[in-house]
Amino acid sequence: MKSKVLLSVLLIVAMILSACGGGGGSGSSGETADGKIVIKYINGFTGGDGEYMKKITNGFNESQDQYVVEESQEKDHYTKFKTGNYDLVLIHSDNLQTYRQDNMIQDIGGVLETAGISPDDFHPVAKEQVTFDGATFAVPLDIHPMTMFYNKKLSPEAPMTYDAMIDLTQNLQEQDPNLYATGIPSGGLPEWFYMTIAAQNNINLVDGNHLNFAQDEFAEALMIYHDMIYKDNISPAGLGLDGEFQAFMKQVDEGGSAVQTATALTGPWYYQAVKEAYGDDLGIASAPQLGNQPGVYGGGHTVALPSSVQDEEKKAGIAEFLKYMYTPENLLNWADSGQAPTHLATIELVEQDAEKYPLAAQNVQQFDSFVGAPQLYQYREQVRYMTESVFPQLVGDEGMTKDKLMSELQKATDQAAQVAETAPQ
Amino acid sequence: MGGISFLPDEMPFYLTDGGVLRTMRISRTWSIVMYLPFLICFVLFLIVPLVYGIWISLHSWSVFGGNGGFVGFDNYIAILTPGNIYSTSFYLGLKNTLIFVAISVVPLVVISLALALLVDAIPKKLKVYFRTIFFISYAVSVTAVSAIFKWLFTGNGGYVNNLMNSIGLSPINWLNEQPYAWVSILVATIWWTIGFNMILFINALDEVDETMYEASSLDGANWWDKFAYITFPSIKGVFVFLTIISVIASFNLYGQTLLITAGGPAQSTQSLIMVIQQMVFTQNNLGIGSAMAIVMGIVMMAIVAAQYFYSFRKE
Repeated sequence: MKSKVLLSVLLIVAMILSACGGGGGSGSSGETADGKIVIKYINGFTGGDGEYMKKITNGFNESQDQYVVEESQEKDHYTKFKTGNYDLVLIHSDNLQTYRQDNMIQDIGGVLETAGISPDDFHPVAKEQVTFDGATFAVPLDIHPMTMFYNKKLSPEAPMTYDAMIDLTQNLQEQDPNLYATGIPSGGLPEWFYMTIAAQNNINLVDGNHLNFAQDEFAEALMIYHDMIYKDNISPAGLGLDGEFQAFMKQVDEGGSAVQTATALTGPWYYQAVKEAYGDDLGIASAPQLGNQPGVYGGGHTVALPSSVQDEEKKAGIAEFLKYMYTPENLLNWADSGQAPTHLATIELVEQDAEKYPLAAQNVQQFDSFVGAPQLYQYREQVRYMTESVFPQLVGDEGMTKDKLMSELQKATDQAAQVAETAPQ
Repeated sequence: MGGISFLPDEMPFYLTDGGVLRTMRISRTWSIVMYLPFLICFVLFLIVPLVYGIWISLHSWSVFGGNGGFVGFDNYIAILTPGNIYSTSFYLGLKNTLIFVAISVVPLVVISLALALLVDAIPKKLKVYFRTIFFISYAVSVTAVSAIFKWLFTGNGGYVNNLMNSIGLSPINWLNEQPYAWVSILVATIWWTIGFNMILFINALDEVDETMYEASSLDGANWWDKFAYITFPSIKGVFVFLTIISVIASFNLYGQTLLITAGGPAQSTQSLIMVIQQMVFTQNNLGIGSAMAIVMGIVMMAIVAAQYFYSFRKE
């Protein structure tokens, strides 16, 4: 009797312990059954660009008998990264300072040296994003600036100035009152719009460790988006989340309520969708100059080394992988996805074959006027109120004035300053 | 079994076999073994996370960096004292969540009860089809529901606006203006969850004694009299239960506001769960996030307890 009870208890305990056990496929040693060292690489390429990154990792794995890269493409890869165990992580350039200060990534300079890669191999604007505090914290992969897609049927040429936008919208409205030159959204990419106008007016938003939005010239510059909607009719009112893209993809029909725009100022990741919709009628151009000088904002992908990676053999494997990835012929796969690589030798190949890589070739031209996110702790949290509350009011409230805007910009600044204060000491 | 015990070594366990009551005796040790899996799981997956959550809320805790030291009630003070980013986010999320609870619980319960009464009134053969049709939406994931309603309510050429336009009404900017954004989320939530409440009401209605309706008809009772004096008192327990779980479900608002309005316009649909998620996974602040979750749990418990005592105060 006692043995039966004991057996039952043991079975229960075994069942629970097995349920609690880890499910790591590669074992604790980080090696496969055939002795290859496993490099766990996590990124967020769950869209159309994911298969092109897979081409690079698959190509590396086929070329290797010593290392194998296990690539995870996850929708919310930052959460997975924070709670998992990875050897290589894709980080957006605006997150690098936060991840460094939270001690989640380490100096990758030594690994780059082993791989024979130098920060000077990249466009200066990309190099500037990854080198700070006297070290290199990531390898630049690409920059995705605000891009203009235009419908050649509605606008044979890309409108590159504010006046050209006014002319275009007047011309379109004569055809149909539901046609507009472009769309200003209240959600999705507001950050790109307000940072671009800051760059085009040479406004420095950084004040020590935080962003200072409460600047008179910034408020004045921002009002241009309000004017585009309510004064000059360049954009329809009430475009919501990703509204700039949705309005570009719409087709107006007689008597309908839908509005359509001739251009979209948006992210290059929509390229496949707009190409499919417009085919040969699709035009690609740089962001228009709405301010006093050229300038464009956007994001950037970088590859960083988690601080947990200390094993020298693993670092050697990572160096080998980076060496393979940053061979221009291999990195061209990334340009094929539509992304614009920042690696100078690869840029040369892209420019030589601009017809094959139209989007990448167009966007590398914007690198010289590109202004990236400043290296600030919790940058995304610092801009949250500005993005989610102030900008939607700017484009959604017809009665918005510069004075009202200034009071909201002050709130956004106060929040940014408080977020900055949460940085680890 | 040796030692001092207040329980007998063997306990009676009654079985019926063709109407004959038989007694099977199992030992106390075996009975412990039988409920041990439940007990272990209960402790592992309910008690331990709860206690651990409270423990974390009393510490400065980063998702990546781990425990930064005991801070007592500092996290609670930070989220409850106005004037800092934590309390601003917390009160905004709490206010938005309470708005949703206030506008959603009544329709969630009343519409499902109305549907249940309708389905209950139709012939038995058809009942099963309608019950399935209304319940099927509950099986759809929140992602799919949100995608459908986002498409329906899109301001620029969305289905609802096209419909309104075709009958001469002006289009509404459903997802980017209040109170329309709340209306869109409410409609999506009702469509998604109504089936579950309805099924429970139908089951409760099936239990109501038919002879009471027959007797009341003889006494000249109309539809409303029958509902007020027979139906509702008979299903009151289920009604209170569904009201309570609707409050809890509405407090947990997350998927719909994240996917349909992304917390907008101007953060007005940002729910408390969204705020907690940002606090933990974007700001890495597990200590503050846990404190927010605990306070949210206390607010929920207070509301549910008040509801419970108010509903049964006469008893």
